[in-house]
Amino acid sequence: MGKGGMSIDGDHGEEQNMAAWLVAINTLKIQPFNLPPLGPHDVRVRMKAVGICGSDVHYLKTLRCAHFVVEEPMVIGHECAGIIEEVGSEVKTLVPGDRVAIEPGISCWRCDHCKQGRYNLCPDMKFFATPPVHGSLANRIVHPADLCFKLPDNVSLEEGAMCEPLSVGVHACRRAEIGPETNVLIMGAGPIGLVTMLAARAFGAPRIVIVDVDDHRLSVAKSLGADDIVKVSTNTQDVPGEVEQIHKAMGADVDVTFDCAGFNKTMTTALSATKPGGKVCLVGMGHSEMTVPLTPAAAREVDVIGIFRYKNTWPLCLEFLRSGKIDVKPLITHRYGFSQKEVEEAFETSAAGGNAIKVMFNL
Amino acid sequence: MIMMKMKMNTEMSQSEDGEINMAAWILGVKNLSIQPYPLPSLGPHDVKIRIKAVGICGSDVHYYKTMRCANFIANKPMVLGHECAGIIQELGTQVQSLSVGDRVALEPGISCQSCSFCKGGRYNLCRGMKFFGSASTHGSLANMVVHPANLCFKLPDNVSLEEGAMIEPLSVGVHACRRANIGPDTNVLIIGAGPIGLVVSLAARAFGSPRIVMVDVDNTRLSIAKDLGADETILVSTSIQDMENEVVQIQNAMGCKIDVSFDCVGYNKTMSTALNATTSGGKVCLIGLAQTEMTLPLTPAAAREVDVIGIFRYKNTWPLCIELLRTGKIDIKALISHRFGFSQKELEEAFETSAQGGTAIKIMFNL
Repeated sequence: MGKGGMSIDGDHGEEQNMAAWLVAINTLKIQPFNLPPLGPHDVRVRMKAVGICGSDVHYLKTLRCAHFVVEEPMVIGHECAGIIEEVGSEVKTLVPGDRVAIEPGISCWRCDHCKQGRYNLCPDMKFFATPPVHGSLANRIVHPADLCFKLPDNVSLEEGAMCEPLSVGVHACRRAEIGPETNVLIMGAGPIGLVTMLAARAFGAPRIVIVDVDDHRLSVAKSLGADDIVKVSTNTQDVPGEVEQIHKAMGADVDVTFDCAGFNKTMTTALSATKPGGKVCLVGMGHSEMTVPLTPAAAREVDVIGIFRYKNTWPLCLEFLRSGKIDVKPLITHRYGFSQKEVEEAFETSAAGGNAIKVMFNL
Repeated sequence: MIMMKMKMNTEMSQSEDGEINMAAWILGVKNLSIQPYPLPSLGPHDVKIRIKAVGICGSDVHYYKTMRCANFIANKPMVLGHECAGIIQELGTQVQSLSVGDRVALEPGISCQSCSFCKGGRYNLCRGMKFFGSASTHGSLANMVVHPANLCFKLPDNVSLEEGAMIEPLSVGVHACRRANIGPDTNVLIIGAGPIGLVVSLAARAFGSPRIVMVDVDNTRLSIAKDLGADETILVSTSIQDMENEVVQIQNAMGCKIDVSFDCVGYNKTMSTALNATTSGGKVCLIGLAQTEMTLPLTPAAAREVDVIGIFRYKNTWPLCIELLRTGKIDIKALISHRFGFSQKELEEAFETSAQGGTAIKIMFNL
């Protein structure tokens, strides 16, 4: 049981701040969530839209994700947008009433990574719903103003919450240098494969082929603009045949492959299908240890690019959404309100996969 | 001993003064033979070179031992050797950049110059590459070869022909340092202190790397590495169980973040060590080609944005290598550990010596 009781910032006499807490395996409870006091550079945001991420589901099911372990009850959720309620004394860029999308991670700003602009790699990163830092599936949160980005008038709060997963796609496209000359192959048509596809198109990729084991996900990918789709298996024996199919579907060299699944087979396919001098971007984190034909790929100067979250992506994402260059709305397949019952249902739906792409809370 | 039938009609096996061009042919596994090697006629943009220095590469030894290298199986006799330098003997009609008597280092590979890789400057990836001593293109361990003039680079007066031949392996190190963006900010780990690890260390230093740690399983190789300028050396094992401890040792020896690791060996253990030891946002450069399929902690590395950079041969490295040798920024002579002349007996001895590794770093033929 977490920190209960009344919110300590109760001078405005509002209702108790409630949040969705992960209290045990498979156990979420809506309970009070005390907010810290508002610092001079902070804002307090009333949450309006929060999406569920695969990592949230993973924490729910296992209390861990990679090397992070939930040891105490933790508020879940990190893909969010809301309305500014109050601004700290030094905040000049935002005012109450502003609709904002929120970048989850607070980095230290003092280490070499931060100073060199790769703050996503900051060892002291405090990231929503990565233990021990509380998440944002709550009525209200307090957050640095510089991590809250004002939404253009024509971009909804739900789209604002979608900036977070979209940022992964955008960051991957930047690291992989996607542009008008890069034909792109995407392994996996789940939420990450789909945002990567949308980002790749926005960056100018002329041709995008996407593969998956699931027909429904492939048809969603097609409707979202994939030039071609290829159904693949989970069987490593099928790799050579599938590489041939992929090349046929692309009709040209594969310049960059995004592995948005992260399994031996997907990585093997990616390394084999990508042209000499091309890049394979490993976004998915399926398997920790992988057995792959790395040497033949390295001997063709196929580089493997790693991706961890994102950096400096919100402004670009918002511009893509404002201009309509990217439409993320179709990715939101399920919506729930913020009640105990709906929180449980929402996570079950997300965990089941299948037709569920992005499950969104409206608060 | 096998004698081959020569096609005499389109090729010249004898020069005008009656000299028969001889070369070192691989006829079968561990079967080397010095035999005539007819040269093609000299095209307008070609030169004929009298070869003076040829080094043996691990790939030459691989053909010697197995008649294959990577995906290519040699099913007919082939002239070996590709690390070479010599003296211009004759010029094609359109050649203006070189003169007879010029001392030149040779870049082995003739690319097609018309595919998208070539036109994009990445000619090392050309699918139509014709490379000395590889995939049915004859090599250069011969008295004379014919080669495009644009792949022959004039040696400065103070750079010897042996150093000229060393430019080929040095080029691998230079190309790797370029791809990995080595500079004054990059602290470097080099796994493997064989010839490739050593040229990488020389190149890394020349590119400005402030600190270089080298590891190997062999103490002799490590002491050579130390003599050649490595800041620290660590003896490691072949056992994957030791990896965790070794990574700690390596990081302690470096004393600061490891920005770039070069795996000059290419096994599960060396690659895993590299991936684990390298700092977030850093690079691992895979040069060694030992193991085809590898089992690695790839995901945790990718989740720290450690990128894996591939290396295949080199591109546009001869001018820079020549300059580094001319100024003394790199001294490559220390890598030449054994020298042999060009006779049947010495040919066999040289390859056996190279194949044994150990104290043999670079075996050089003087012709």
